[in-house]
This record gives sequence, C-alpha cells and structure tokens, in this order.
Amino acid sequence: MSSFLNEISTVLVFGLAYAMLLFIISVGLSITMGLMGFANLAHGSFAMAGGYVTVTLVSQMNVPFAVALLIAFIVVAFLSIPFERFLYRHLYRRPELDQVLLTIGLVFVSIAGVTFIWGPDPHLILMPEYLQGSINLGFNIFPKYRIFMIVAGAVIVAGLFYGLERTSIGAKIRAAVDNRRMAESCGINTGRIFTWTFALGSGMAALGGGLGIQILGGIKPVFAFEYLVIFLIVVAVGGLGNIRGTFFAALILGIIDFAGKFYFPEGGAFVIFAVTILVLLIRPQGLFGKA
Amino acid sequence: MSKPILETRDLAKNFGALAVTDNVNFALAPGARHAIIGPNGAGKTTLINLLTGALSPSSGSVYLAGGDITGMAEYQRVKNGIARTFQINTLFMGLSVIENLYLAISERMGVATSLVRPAGKDSAVMEEAVRILNILKLEEDSLTEIHELPYGRQRLVEIAIALALDPKVLLLDEPAAGVPTTESHIILDAVDSLPKDIAVLIIEHDMDVVFRFAERITVLVRGAILAEGSPDDIAANEEVQAVYLGEGSHD
Amino acid sequence: MTAITGADTAATAEAVKFLQTRHRFHWAEVLPWVIAIAVFYLLPGYRLLATQILVMILFALSLDLIVGYAGIISLGHTAFFGTGAYITALLAANNIPDPLIGLVAAAIGAAVLGFLSGWVLLRTAGLTLLVLTMAVTIMLGELANDFDEITGGFDGINFTNSEIFGLIEIDQLWYTSSYIYVLVVLFLSFLLIRTIVHAPFGRMLIGIRENTKRMSAIGTPVHQRQVLVYVISAAIAGIAGALWVQVQGNVTTGVYAFELSGDVLIMIILGGTGRLYGAFIGATVFKILESLTEQILGTNQPYWQLTIGIVLILTVLFARRGLYGIFEDIGEKWKDRSQ
Ligand SMILES: Nc1ncnc2c1ncn2[C@@H]1O[C@H](COP(=O)(O)OP(=O)(O)OP(=O)(O)O)[C@@H](O)[C@H]1O
Ligand SMILES: [Mg+2]
Repeated sequence: MSSFLNEISTVLVFGLAYAMLLFIISVGLSITMGLMGFANLAHGSFAMAGGYVTVTLVSQMNVPFAVALLIAFIVVAFLSIPFERFLYRHLYRRPELDQVLLTIGLVFVSIAGVTFIWGPDPHLILMPEYLQGSINLGFNIFPKYRIFMIVAGAVIVAGLFYGLERTSIGAKIRAAVDNRRMAESCGINTGRIFTWTFALGSGMAALGGGLGIQILGGIKPVFAFEYLVIFLIVVAVGGLGNIRGTFFAALILGIIDFAGKFYFPEGGAFVIFAVTILVLLIRPQGLFGKA
Repeated sequence: MSKPILETRDLAKNFGALAVTDNVNFALAPGARHAIIGPNGAGKTTLINLLTGALSPSSGSVYLAGGDITGMAEYQRVKNGIARTFQINTLFMGLSVIENLYLAISERMGVATSLVRPAGKDSAVMEEAVRILNILKLEEDSLTEIHELPYGRQRLVEIAIALALDPKVLLLDEPAAGVPTTESHIILDAVDSLPKDIAVLIIEHDMDVVFRFAERITVLVRGAILAEGSPDDIAANEEVQAVYLGEGSHD
Repeated sequence: MTAITGADTAATAEAVKFLQTRHRFHWAEVLPWVIAIAVFYLLPGYRLLATQILVMILFALSLDLIVGYAGIISLGHTAFFGTGAYITALLAANNIPDPLIGLVAAAIGAAVLGFLSGWVLLRTAGLTLLVLTMAVTIMLGELANDFDEITGGFDGINFTNSEIFGLIEIDQLWYTSSYIYVLVVLFLSFLLIRTIVHAPFGRMLIGIRENTKRMSAIGTPVHQRQVLVYVISAAIAGIAGALWVQVQGNVTTGVYAFELSGDVLIMIILGGTGRLYGAFIGATVFKILESLTEQILGTNQPYWQLTIGIVLILTVLFARRGLYGIFEDIGEKWKDRSQ
C-alpha cells in the first residue's frame, strides 16, 4: 500500500513539475497561433535562448538563479520583438506552409548559432542551496527542485490568469484572440497587441527554458527541435489560442508522459503520442478549442 | 403550386444560443424564380448553407424532390442537382477560367478520378466548358487566371461554375454583391437568361432586381420567415414595410 | 487534336488548344536523364552521392504529390519511407531477397499505412494535421527502437538482394548496376507520376489545393480524394525507402528519422512545389550543398544546419516558387528579349 502511495505521489509530483514547465513554454506558442494565426515552429528556439542566457549568467557571472531567470525573460522578450515586427509580420497572411518553413529555417540557424557559441554538449548549472537536495513530505521524499518547479509554475499560472482576466491589457488580448475584426472595430490596435503578446509569450518560453535546465538534464542545441514536438502537441490538444486549454493539456500530457516513461521505461515515450492522436481524432479542434 | 423540388420542414440552426435559422418551412417549386430578402444577418446565407449541406441543421429536415436529404453530404447533394454560388467569391484563384469550369464539369461527368488519359483529351468535358464560356460571354477570358480578373468578371465565373454543374436547383447568394452598379446589369442579365427548367433561388438586397426577377418572395427576419407571397403581396405587406423602414434601407 | 464544337473565338480556341497539349513532352525534359547518365560515365567517383540523389528525388516527388498538388502539409512522410525500407529489408533478411518483390511489397505496405493513417488524419487540417503527421512518424520511430529484436535498432540489419530477374546483381560497392537499377525505377515511377498529374485526377488535386470549400461545392468528396492521393504518395515513398536500403544492403531505425521528413519537405520547397521538376532540382541541390558544406567546412561544427537554415529563410521570403520558379522567370525574360 505504502509503495503504491509512493509510486503515485512520485508520478504526480514529477509529472506535475514537468506539466508546469510544458505550460510555461507552450502558452506563448498557443497565443501566437490562436491570436496571430501564425505557426511559429521557432518557439522552442526562444525557450532555448532563455536556457542559455540563464546558464551564462549563473555559471559565468555568478548571478543568482532567480535573478538570472528574470533577466532571461526580459532579454528574450525584447529580442523577440524585431522578429515579430520585421519577419513574422510579413507572413501572417501567407499559407501555413510558408510560416512552418521560415520558422524551421530559424530553428536551424538558432541551433547552429548556439552550437558555435556554447558547443554541442549539454550545459548544467549549480542550483542555489535552497533548491538542492530533497524534502520529506511525510509520505514520500521529493527533490526540492521539483517542488519549487510546481510552486513557481503555480505562481506564474496564477499571475498570467490574473493579468488576462483582470487587467485592461489582458482584456484587449482576450478580445483580439476571440474576434480580431471586432476588436479592431472597437479601436484596439491589434498590431501593437500582437507585438507585446508575442514578446510576452517568448519571454515566458525563455523563463521555461531557464527553469527547465535542471529537469530536462541540461540545455543543449537540439533542445529547439527535440521539445518542439511536445510543445506543439500541448498546443494542439489544448486548442489553439485557448490558454485554459493549454494549461489542462499540459497537465494531462505532462503527467501521462512521465507516467508512461516511469511504468514502461522501454516504450513509454510513445504513450504521449498515442494519447495525442486519440484526442485529436475525437476532437480535432483540441480538448478546449472552439468547434 | 406543383410539388416542390426543394423543401425544408421545421429547419433550425443555432450557433451557441443564437437561433440563426428558426423553424423555417420553405418550399421551392420546380423552375421557380424565387427570391429571399431580409436585413443583414437575417440568416439568408445560413439557410443556403443548410440547403447545400455545407452546414448541418440543429433540427428539422431538408427534402429534394420529396426525398429526405438532411443527412446527405454536400458533394452528394451537388451530384443530385443542387448548385450554389457564394456571397463572397469562392473560386480557384490561381487557375484560369476554363480550368475552373473544367474541374466542375469533370467532376459532374464522373471523370475526375481518371488517372491516365491527359485532362485536355476528354472532348465531352472540353465541349461543355466551351459551351458555358459562350453562355456567360467569358470567351475572351478563357485563359485568364481568376486573380487577374476584375471582381465583376469573377462573379460571372461563380455563376458559370454553378451552371457547369447542370443543376436542377440553383441557389444564388447575392450574385451582384461587390460589383459596381454600372456593371451589375451584366450579371443580372445572366441571371435573367438562366434556363427556365432550373429552379432559381436568389438572395438579393436590391429591391428593383428582386421585383423584376422574382415570381415569389420570402422575407426572412432574425432567422424566421416573416412573410411569403407574390411580389405584389410582399410590396403591400405592412409587417415587411415596418421591418424595412424600421431597420433602414439597404444597399 | 480533336476539334471542339463551339470553340469559335480565337480565345476559346487557344484555351482549348492549351489544355489539349499541356501534357506533351518538352525537349528540355530529357535533361535530367541525360545528366543522370552523364554522371554515371563521367563522374564514377560520385555514383554513391548520385544514387542517393536519385532516391531522394523519388521521395521528394512522392511528397510533392500531396504538398505541391493537393496542398496537404505533412511533416511525417518518413513514416512511409521507413515502412517501405523495413518491409523490403525484413523480406530480404527472411529468405525473400528478390528486389522487385521487395519494391512491390514496400509499395503495398506503405500504401496500407497511408490508407489507415490518412483516413483518420486527413479529417483534420492545418496545424493539427501537421502535429498528427509528426506524431505518427515519431511514434513509429519509437516503436522501431523499442522492438529492436526485429528492427535491429541503431545497428540495423544487414541483408543481401538476389539478382533482378535472376540475372542482374545489385552491386553494393561500386554502384554500377545498382545505379542503373535506381535510375530505371525512378524513371518508370516518374512517368507514372507525370501521367497522373496531367490526368483529370491531377487537375482535381490542384483544385483541392486551391480551394477545398469550392471543391465540395462542385460535388467533390474531398476527404476521399485526399486519402486516395495520400495512399498513392505513400506507396511511392515506400518504393523510395525500399531503394534506399536495397542499394546499401542495410537498414537502421534512421529510416524513420523525423529530420528526414523535414529534409524532404525542404527539398521540394527549395526546388519549387507543384511542378515535378522542382523535386529533381531541390533534391539535387540539397544533397550537393550538404556534401559540399561537409567536405569544405567539416562536420565538427553545424555549418550545414546554418547553411540550410539560411537557404530556407531566403527561399520562403524571396523565392517562394523555388529554384524552378527562378528558372522560369529567367526563361520568360529571355523569351521577352528575343521577341
Ligand atoms: N459560423 C458561424 N458561427 C457563429 N455565428 C454565425 C456563423 N455564421 C453566421 N453566424 C451568424 O448568424 C447570423 C446570420 O448570418 P448569415 O450570414 O446567414 O446572414 P445573412 O442573412 O446572409 O446576412 P448578409 O445579408 O449580411 O449576408 C449572423 O448574426 C452571423 O453573425
Ligand atoms: Mg449572406
């Protein structure tokens, strides 16, 4: 019985930590796709950039981890603005295929770029003391970092929902996602909303990239491709542009993925794909998407 | 009235809480010249989409020549003689006019899945394409790609494609919409000279056109039929006048 | 040419003539085959690379059928390539070493997978379809790795082919008869594909690409037709996969590599989609560029990824019709000037 509880709580805690990470990174992708109708396959590159900024700040400049995350968020958010303004904007009205190809091109370039600078091997960072080691919650022992990840994720999720539901900027974003033409006729400058939303989404991805270093076994160049599929799956299952949907999709897929790998070390990686195919076949618009 | 070619019974469509088609009982006689009028957002296009099968109804049913076609797919209905034009041009923009017709005709004649014989070698299809080009006087633009045509000419191609399907029922959704009035007569002439054996249902805002063309008029307001009758009946109907005066005149 | 009643005006007569003669061969269409034969004799040292290019052309052609003609975006075409490869290799390793049987079995197996996956996947479109095609491919790759007793895992399985018609051996060392073998299969497959795209079926695919909504409104069962072309495309991709492993006598789970799906998509974009010869140009330029980059700059740094990334971005931004489109434009200019 207690070993059962052990297993379940391990799967839940590790899965939840992974799910939070998936949500933080994927939510920006979901908004870009839903709001701008843009298939941004380079989203993983922005997350990767965040990871490398964090690594550099922490291990080379001794910046505290939490501060480094904040800087990564800001730096990548600002760096992403010219991409939206000068590159993506031209392709909003072009076919999806063009968007896919352009952003795949960017992924290649970004992978090459970080390999030139940081090399092909994974980079890890030394976590601050308060995140090292384990914590005993009575029924089971968990790595402190996973617990931190869940708490940090919860805080970010809460902040995001608060921002979207309660602030005027959030209201504008929601209006633009729901009905762009209506929002425009109400005098909302959707062009500017796009830019800021894109920057926010990229910043979130960067934050995720930094937070994920520990959980994903270091940051490495192939990150931009390796995890892209997972992010896309989360977005598709959640329903494009649906923030709540993205959250639940991340939750379900994160836990299932971890459970799959935990119970079937051999073939567990394929569980998440099977689940995705099943979900999207029954609901092509995603679990929470508009029909 | 003879037995209707196309008929709906208690047809309803909701988008969420919004009843866009509200228990519509509508009948189109064979060879009819029938117009649907109604304010913007009345649900006219939605009704056409329900008739063609582009949308499936929330409840109620659709009959073609007495047979229930409610569950029939859009493409099957086309094969059974229902053709439509779109309010906003829905054409093969990168293809020439003759190729647009070619696609419709090869599908109708059942050769569209032929894998071997070069497309242009099928004389029956080609002859039919040329015949339609001639009817709508599109000869000069045969090889022009749609996106190079002015919008008014594109509207003609909309009608040409529908005619190429050899329909029993033709549903025209504002055929002259978006065309400057100086040119709309070309399209309306084309509508006037449609073969008499085709039942034509037209959605149109221009009352002059409606009263010139239609032998019967249905007024749709907020998804429901407000009135139906001959043009004289409708012109004299006070409720209809109230709607049109109350909601302002239409373009 | 058959006379068409009613084509009385000059414009309609011209249009009719254009459609009636469009499928005819242009003299320039012998070029790829002349080049392929010239490479065989003049550059024997490059036969391995050339063989790979020929196979990739076939793979790219299969993808062009769905992407370029029918407008179905897929990032998972290796599912069929890999399946064809494994079917052939497993047959050969289990006492059915006839290469032609291998090709047919690969085509059928890939077609069956194409039918099963296409029937369900093609109900979706856009991003969802993209994700699903990726998911299916990655899943197959995972399965191939999990069942490594059967697939041989990363090490793969080795096998030998028997002689074609009991006469011609596929040499795996010097790429002599195997080069010819691949070239002949490519040529025959190409003739088939070319016939299909010029037939009403091919025109119908273009209609689906241009406007699905209108296709339904002219009576086309769009989903069925998409599945049909998906199956045809899968079969051809399966043949390409079979060729790929037959000339090497070895198969690894690498044939399911998701990256290959991306590469082949890039090839047709680079060459130009929806025009057949784009696949020839794209696959050739891609592979040559790849081997040049790796030879000159080495493989210890990601120069190739940098190159292909930049090429891809520039193509999408400035040459959306690919290299073939650029050639067309140059040809037009040249014609204008000489007139
Ligand atoms: N797919 C949809 N989802 C939600 N609401 C819709 C949808 N399609 C139409 N509507 C709504 O249904 C109502 C009727 O639309 P419809 O296009 O049928 O009107 P219409 O009579 O053709 O108007 P118009 O004269 O402007 O063409 C409108 O309020 C429209 O906003
Ligand atoms: Mg309308």
